[in-house]
Amino acid sequence: MPDPAYLVQILVNGLGVGCIYGLIGIGFCVIYNASGIVNFAQGAFVMLGGMAAHVLYTWGLPLPVAGVLAVLMVAALGVVIERLVVRPLWDRNATLFVIILATLAVQIVIERATLILVGDQPKSLPVFTDLPPIRIAGVAVGYQFLWIVGTSLVLIVLLVLFFQRTLVGRAMRACSINREAAALQGIPVSRMLALAFALSAGLGAIAGVLLTPTQFTAFNVGTPFAISGFIAAIVGGFGRPFGAFLGGIALGLAQAIAVVAFGSGLKNVAALSVLLVFLFFRPSGILGTAK
Amino acid sequence: MAGRLLALAPTACAVVLVGYAIVAGGYFVALAGFALIYAVFVTGLNIFMGYAGQASFGQNAFAAIGGYVSAVLTTTWDWPTLPALGLGVTGAVACAVLIGWPTLRLRGHYLAMATLAIGLIVYEITVQWQSVTQGYMGISGIPPLGVFGYEAASDRAQLVLLSIVAAACMGSAWLIRNSRFGRALVALSGSEDAARALGIDVTRYKLAAFVLSAGYAAVAGSLFVHVVGFVSPEIFGMNMVVLGFTMLYVGGIGTVTGPLVGAIVINMLPETIRELKDYQDLVYGAALIVILIYAPGGLASLGALWRRPAEPPKPEPRPPVPEVVEAHPSEARP
Repeated sequence: MPDPAYLVQILVNGLGVGCIYGLIGIGFCVIYNASGIVNFAQGAFVMLGGMAAHVLYTWGLPLPVAGVLAVLMVAALGVVIERLVVRPLWDRNATLFVIILATLAVQIVIERATLILVGDQPKSLPVFTDLPPIRIAGVAVGYQFLWIVGTSLVLIVLLVLFFQRTLVGRAMRACSINREAAALQGIPVSRMLALAFALSAGLGAIAGVLLTPTQFTAFNVGTPFAISGFIAAIVGGFGRPFGAFLGGIALGLAQAIAVVAFGSGLKNVAALSVLLVFLFFRPSGILGTAK
Repeated sequence: MAGRLLALAPTACAVVLVGYAIVAGGYFVALAGFALIYAVFVTGLNIFMGYAGQASFGQNAFAAIGGYVSAVLTTTWDWPTLPALGLGVTGAVACAVLIGWPTLRLRGHYLAMATLAIGLIVYEITVQWQSVTQGYMGISGIPPLGVFGYEAASDRAQLVLLSIVAAACMGSAWLIRNSRFGRALVALSGSEDAARALGIDVTRYKLAAFVLSAGYAAVAGSLFVHVVGFVSPEIFGMNMVVLGFTMLYVGGIGTVTGPLVGAIVINMLPETIRELKDYQDLVYGAALIVILIYAPGGLASLGALWRRPAEPPKPEPRPPVPEVVEAHPSEARP
């Protein structure tokens, strides 16, 4: 039996990673709700967020500026992808599967372009607050962990306000319930899809910027994060952004426990097994009926 | 008539290229060999995706099972190649039944993600189960293909053997397409509910298509390791799936000869691109996007493209891709 403090430490770390998975999972849900598309390129946004922040930082920009700029750039890229890839397919009435496949191709193009532009070496960012971790009863809580959890919670609150209070947020929800009816109400459905891509890419990029100081980023980290975020979304009941966040935390904790129980090699197998268990036995997620 | 000839042209070119490779020998043989192996892999993919209209992102899992069973049995246990290949295919088929039974109840993106997860799980296992697979190091020294004591040691002999196998696979795919079973698959790809109403056991037919496609993938995986003589997890990674999709869409999804055409085009024509290893996947990805948008029928639909100008102008026709996702609210599209 491992030391209880060690166990708590592992769970704390799992919680931090879980928040990241949750943010990525929300990104999946936002696009899915607006269009019914599962965007496989979600992981590329996470990778690009960290990578762009790293590049801007090495150019001499202060860290906060680099981070914000990176997020904005990736959000803009989300719109570009929507216009260049998704919209033409959408207008041609391509099946959803074909659109999903196209986003997978986008993921590969972004990954390879990054490899060519910045090389295959892992990149990092400095931690946001360079202080030694806070120690509570033998458990170390790093400041980056607090940044991750804090930012995630703030984002959740902002998202709730956005979807419930603002006209645009309500319009997006209307699109997710019934696009045709939304269009009849005068909602520019096509613009909502572009906005969904921007929001989703921005969320992914924020996750990437938050994460990069604690883990390295490299051209190929996108796919594992996309998978984890997708599992989070499935566990939460696909199409429910806040379920996805809970799902992310559950997945982060489950992975942390799996690392203690079976060793770090099987971390990914554990996550994928969680996905299969949910797909087979409870595809509607922990919260109930999926949309 | 011109359209019809044009539609046959890619296939004719493919046959001529392989024939030329057998005669000419050299580096061309290796290229043609890979193209034929991929043709088998993509034919399997085509049965499940093109005919039955389902999505599988995890075909590499079955190729990996076929390849690794072959590799381990022939190197560690000194089995002859043919029984090793047979057992590899049997193993993959058994796994496909076990995996397909719960998975195929899922629809649309759930099915896509479940199959993707299976591909990734098998990849992780090939990396982590070092005592058997030797992890990233891979297994080398795998003997070439052989039949009853005769070993196809020379490149040309291997290519002839591969041509026979590929021809058999394409032929069986043609038979399947024109059988009662194949027609049932095409029917359920159009509408599962309508197919069910016609008395087609949708779940069973989907499972059968899935298992068949897994069998083809396993044959391809096994052929690959015997031809190359080496196997490592990277060979059956995610890029194999993307390459397979690109070939399927280039050649023409749902057609019998499309997989062969796509495999040959992707393998042999862009030799100049292949040289630049880093740019290869980038170009494939970009090409796939362009094809999906502008030519969803692939090269096999060239004939239709030829005929199109004669038709009176009408609103954008629906591309000849079978409906995959039982339209979520897609009919509600603006």
